[in-house]
Amino acid sequence: MSDETTAKDLAAEERERLFDDRWSAYGANTGIEQISERLSPEALRRYDIFQPYDDAFLEKLTPDITVAQWKADAILFEEGNYLDLAFYVVEGTVDVFLKKQRDTAVLPIFDASRIVTEDELASDVNSDPYGKTVFFGQVEKGKEGDGITYLSTMEFDLPYGSAVQLGPGEIFGEIGALNGWPQSVTARAETDCTLVQIRVPALRQMKKESSAFNDRIDTIYRERTLTTQLKLTPLFRGVEEAFIDALAKKVALVSCSPDDVIAREGDSVDALYLVRSGFLRLSQQMGEGDMVVTYLSKGMTFGDVELLIDGIDTWQFTMTSVGFTELVKIERDDLLAVTQRFPAIKRRLWKTTVTRIKETGYTRKHLDKSELIEFSLAKGLVQGNSILVIDLDVCTRCDDCVRGCESTHGGRPRFVREGEKYGNFLVARSCYHCEDPVCLIGCPTGAIRRANVGEVVEIEDSLCIGCSNCATKCPYDAIIMHDTGTTWPETALPEWLRGRPRKVASKCDLCQDSEAGPACVNNCPHSCAFRVGSVEEFQNLLAVDDA
Amino acid sequence: MKKTAIYQRKRPHASRVFNKWVQSPRWFWGFWIAVAVCLAIYIVNVLFGRVHPSSVWGLGYGIAAAVLFVGIFTYALRRRTMRFRPGRTWYYLQFHVYGGALFLLLMFMHVGFKVPHGAHTWWLWALSIWVVVSGLLGIVLQKWIPTLLNSGLSIEVHYDRIPELVESIKKKAETLVDSCSAPIRSFYRKNLAPALVTPETRLIYYLDITGGLQARTKQFDHLRALLPADEQEKLDALQDMYRTKLEIDAHYTLQKALRWWLYLHVPVSILLVALLIVHLYAVLYY
Repeated sequence: MSDETTAKDLAAEERERLFDDRWSAYGANTGIEQISERLSPEALRRYDIFQPYDDAFLEKLTPDITVAQWKADAILFEEGNYLDLAFYVVEGTVDVFLKKQRDTAVLPIFDASRIVTEDELASDVNSDPYGKTVFFGQVEKGKEGDGITYLSTMEFDLPYGSAVQLGPGEIFGEIGALNGWPQSVTARAETDCTLVQIRVPALRQMKKESSAFNDRIDTIYRERTLTTQLKLTPLFRGVEEAFIDALAKKVALVSCSPDDVIAREGDSVDALYLVRSGFLRLSQQMGEGDMVVTYLSKGMTFGDVELLIDGIDTWQFTMTSVGFTELVKIERDDLLAVTQRFPAIKRRLWKTTVTRIKETGYTRKHLDKSELIEFSLAKGLVQGNSILVIDLDVCTRCDDCVRGCESTHGGRPRFVREGEKYGNFLVARSCYHCEDPVCLIGCPTGAIRRANVGEVVEIEDSLCIGCSNCATKCPYDAIIMHDTGTTWPETALPEWLRGRPRKVASKCDLCQDSEAGPACVNNCPHSCAFRVGSVEEFQNLLAVDDA
Repeated sequence: MKKTAIYQRKRPHASRVFNKWVQSPRWFWGFWIAVAVCLAIYIVNVLFGRVHPSSVWGLGYGIAAAVLFVGIFTYALRRRTMRFRPGRTWYYLQFHVYGGALFLLLMFMHVGFKVPHGAHTWWLWALSIWVVVSGLLGIVLQKWIPTLLNSGLSIEVHYDRIPELVESIKKKAETLVDSCSAPIRSFYRKNLAPALVTPETRLIYYLDITGGLQARTKQFDHLRALLPADEQEKLDALQDMYRTKLEIDAHYTLQKALRWWLYLHVPVSILLVALLIVHLYAVLYY
């Protein structure tokens, strides 16, 4: 048995083991009246969404599927929640709306105060019809300060002030779940509802196994989201709505698994790719091996060099997905039509082209840049908004950074001075405050969240039930489970907590409540602890060292 | 730069050595300007009269030195008030270092660059020199050892956890050796077991951070050639453990120096504070 197969089996076993805990936690304090036990393939086949699949396949899916009865008026999720599941409506009606525009007194699932939208921070929200739904605007790379933002997700293209009703046979929540994005809308059970709840591993398998299901999901994405997303992508800024609508119908949606090769250097060029989510590695052949030139993240394009420069008909780079990645593929002819009609787009593409050519030249000349990109992709630095790095050439190992953290957080340090080394730097095991934080996905109580819609990810102790979901999900071991020394009372919900030792997850919150900044940096007597917000900043630090 | 990022500004024109030893050119040049000003004042003072501790100028230098000393001492307070974070610790340390050196100069100016005659003042004079010189030794160690640690070791360890790590390596090695053939067991008992008992301090690490690692692991090569393939793998695993232990020893030796020099500096500083208080009291009383 190969290692890979073993790992997969273990993952499946772990999912099965966690079946009860994971689903029942969702029922705490919510409007779930009843939730099914694990369903058999026959039971699943009663729902038309599962009919294309055979028994063996459905058996694999069952740990990630359940059927829940929601009572009328219950809130399924709110704007800004990170979910790792999608909902399929079996019976009843679900109302989907922008919470801020509803004058209803429905109770939120957990704590409404945690939902702070960007519109609450902006002074003039009404000037932007989408202002009410913007959560985490992504600043265009290299243009910080311009205030160019676009929606990372729009599950529903809701006009200002409207709502949508979903009935039997409809699926929702899947875009946020599959891409690791926050939900852009609030969903409420209009009537008593029966919903099939499908977790991401099952969703991905279903998409892969059935082209019909894949097409169905893609169609929903096109109808509900794509137009808005294209409109708000920096590349297509200023393009007429009608034209974007037409383009949205033509483009292809590409889903990639980790390490999928999307384009190979030397093959003929067919299209421009736009990254919807995830990361891509661009490499070029050098000598006997491949050299990583750069990486692409959400909102960036690939194919500009090849499509714009005359005489280049083949890919100049090999493009490989780093993790699960979603792309929009725009065929060459469609792109040409757009650029002919809107010269501004061509100018933007030229800008990207020039940048990429410069980057390639620089990397070929400075091989350490390629090494840094490889390291950053492998260790997730590309995700980070604030990564703690320590200059080991200066650090006297006094641990004042850890002690400072400990004394600021009531005796519980939020990181350990351990981690990967790169050059003279130690990348400490402290929260990166990721761009797409996977730790937020599936938190049953919403305890882990974005603080004030910023880059900081924090945990609210009073909401944490110590399920370890976030700690398990964090790929960088940056979340620590602490034993509080107490046990859960007999009135605790969900019931499985009662009598168990009370644990809480804890992680770096960047000392955001303090004006002095992060305690680790502030308390370092030798100024060797830094917070870097991007690979470029890390590169600058390394350059200081090389100077 | 993102608002969540805090990183060093680039100093492309400074040499690597300057960057390493002088973290802040502003503090560095500020210190030398202060030294120049103090010396200029002193020279003018000497040209117009004798300098001794009880003269107006001498008292002035003494008061300046005492005030500076109080400022220098705030570094220790800052490290004990981490929770409240009254400014970055780094600034306190810069003041501690440069202010400490300036304190010594002002103290010399106070006594007119002469050795005091009284026992109390002699001890004050001697301890001030001791504290500043031991502080300078600390700076040298703090600049030198981290670079040394980072130059040839593949692992990074916490000093406090070293005994625990060594114990865990020893246990792992013994478990592995139990499943090995007689030649490996004998080799382990004779050559490796004594080295895995406790962390060892070896001065060689100050000169060669690898501590002669190549030579010390050479002994494995001869035995390896005599072993079947599966036993060779076990020997390789043992060699890795041994190598890790030697690297831990390097950390232990050097990180110990980073901690132990404080015993030269801190207790004497506390004694100096006490003597200084007595000195100030005596001056004010008499």
